[in-house]
Amino acid sequence: MSVAVAAEVTRDYSMSGGVVHALRGVSLAIEPGEYVAIAGPSGSGKSTLLQLLGGIDLPTSGHVEILGTRLDSLGDRALTRLRLLRLGFIFQRFHLLPVLTALENVELPMAEAGVPRDERRERARSLLDYVGLLDRAAHRPVQLSGGEMQRVAIARALANRPALILADEPTGELDAATGAGILALFRRLTADGSTLVVVTHDERLAAEAGRVVHMLDGRVRG
Amino acid sequence: MIAGWGPRSLARHPLRTALSLAGIAVASAMLLDMVMLSGGLERSFADLMLTRGFQIRVTPAGTLPFDAEATIAGAGTLRAALRGDPRIAAAGAVLGASVFARRGDSVVTLFAYGVEPDAQGIYEVETGHDLAPGDTAGLLLSDPAAAVLHAAAGDRVTLAARLDPGTAGAGGERTFTVRGTVRWLYDYRGQRSIGLPLRTLQAMTGRAAEDRVSLLMVKVRNGADPDAVARSFRGRFPRVAANSVTDLVAAFRVRMLYFRQLAGILGTVSLLVTVLLVTTLLTITVNERLGEIVTLRAIGVSRAHVVRQVMAEGLALTLLGAALGTALGLATARYLDTILTSFPGLPAAFSFFVPRPDAIALAAAALLVTGTLAGLYPAWRAAGAPIAATLRAEAT
Ligand SMILES: Nc1ncnc2c1ncn2[C@@H]1O[C@H](COP(=O)(O)OP(=O)(O)OP(=O)(O)O)[C@@H](O)[C@H]1O
Ligand SMILES: [Mg+2]
Repeated sequence: MSVAVAAEVTRDYSMSGGVVHALRGVSLAIEPGEYVAIAGPSGSGKSTLLQLLGGIDLPTSGHVEILGTRLDSLGDRALTRLRLLRLGFIFQRFHLLPVLTALENVELPMAEAGVPRDERRERARSLLDYVGLLDRAAHRPVQLSGGEMQRVAIARALANRPALILADEPTGELDAATGAGILALFRRLTADGSTLVVVTHDERLAAEAGRVVHMLDGRVRG
Repeated sequence: MIAGWGPRSLARHPLRTALSLAGIAVASAMLLDMVMLSGGLERSFADLMLTRGFQIRVTPAGTLPFDAEATIAGAGTLRAALRGDPRIAAAGAVLGASVFARRGDSVVTLFAYGVEPDAQGIYEVETGHDLAPGDTAGLLLSDPAAAVLHAAAGDRVTLAARLDPGTAGAGGERTFTVRGTVRWLYDYRGQRSIGLPLRTLQAMTGRAAEDRVSLLMVKVRNGADPDAVARSFRGRFPRVAANSVTDLVAAFRVRMLYFRQLAGILGTVSLLVTVLLVTTLLTITVNERLGEIVTLRAIGVSRAHVVRQVMAEGLALTLLGAALGTALGLATARYLDTILTSFPGLPAAFSFFVPRPDAIALAAAALLVTGTLAGLYPAWRAAGAPIAATLRAEAT
């Protein structure tokens, strides 16, 4: 079974000046263990597609399935639960909670999922270790560099062992060297069996992926 | 404590939070004071009336105690009738009148109470002794009277009931010996009051023949109902007013309606101010953190969780503010009380603001409800923000 399927999805935005067709009919299947990059010029609909795959937005037509479940069949609660337990999100701007420590930020999705305290603390520590930041566990986001924040965000995305990790320009705010560190981490994730979809402008990142989906003007090219 | 991210966010802008807390503290202090004021007046009045356990006042018809200069004639008959009632434990009369004392070249006006020391509900001895039975030349002083007369227990004081117009001095003088100083329960602050045996004061002021008094105070026996006793007495003696403290409180409540309405309005205003302050602050912080909040929603945090956190933030703010406000409110109430009770004509022992636990609990409950309500709108905003659109807006 595919981890994620987009079937003929379109997404229109109605604006005062008319309708913007951000996606004009995209079909895509992500198989377990795949590392997929979505590339394409600005405005081609990459982020929109990722948001639909991640269930934080709904298509105008067509549908999205995660592990065989059609997202349009779910209510907000079930959809939120699915995001919590099946998906991991990584954003360009990290968006960690500034009042929580690195460790607590990683623990948060597990707490929401009802993982017992000791167990989630243990797992949060091993995830911070995995991304190389165990020594910064007690630090707040403001005390971390951009690359470090992004690694905490990756640890947070992994917390509930997601079936699919979605990242939108994860290196967009980072310099080349720091970005390279994140790429290495992604490589390790796929080696360990994770399924990854990454939206990027970054040629190097796209080159590392097992498959590159090229988008243009709301469609998958070629 | 991961779950505390909402309330913990208050620490992100300490100055802003502190200012909001100050605002909430002031508003809740006001609320507490108004709650204390609206119930306190009545409670304080009842407490004051019952200080020495006398539950009934008998006054000239159509008046309340010390309401007017009017007096009741034939006090002895009334007293005898009262003391003959098996439900009544004690009954004593009081006469109020002005008397004068000479101090060097000037004359001091004093307020004299004619009292029956064996059945009195209007003073408590502080130093020296009470008037003994049969003592016709003893004198009791309030502190202000003792101060103006420079007199203490054992000293002799000459008093007159009227001023002699010819010499501008006092006429019909009598000399008394000070027995002690007392606290007059119904005196206003600084009142120069003295106590004389009732008979003596009646004689000095020409009221002995008709046996006139200002009022009688009555204490009923344990188990007897003061309201019923007062009612039956009214039936028997229609020319006087007999009121139980319950009756007097009811009359007082009518007179104080304005106060209570004012307190109600101001209390409501302070609750509204609290709601507005909390809602404003929460709306601002939620807007600032909308990116973080929708990110949480994106990674699977439920709407209910977001609502709880924002409401907890509002509640934390309200509770902290209310705690500060309680301290502030109690302090202000004490200060206002000293100002208000120094008004002439008001018993100094009276309190406008009575810090009763139920008043504090009522104010706290009102604030709790308010703090919760205040969080609703910002919480709803935070939980309902569209995830994709907000993330996009945040990214630019
Ligand atoms: N909420 C919206 N309202 C109106 N138009 C939108 C909205 N979201 C996206 N669009 C439009 O849809 C199109 C696709 O946007 P999208 O963000 O998916 O592109 P992208 O490929 O991710 O671009 P970039 O590389 O710049 O991030 C753009 O033309 C964009 O302006
Ligand atoms: Mg984009």
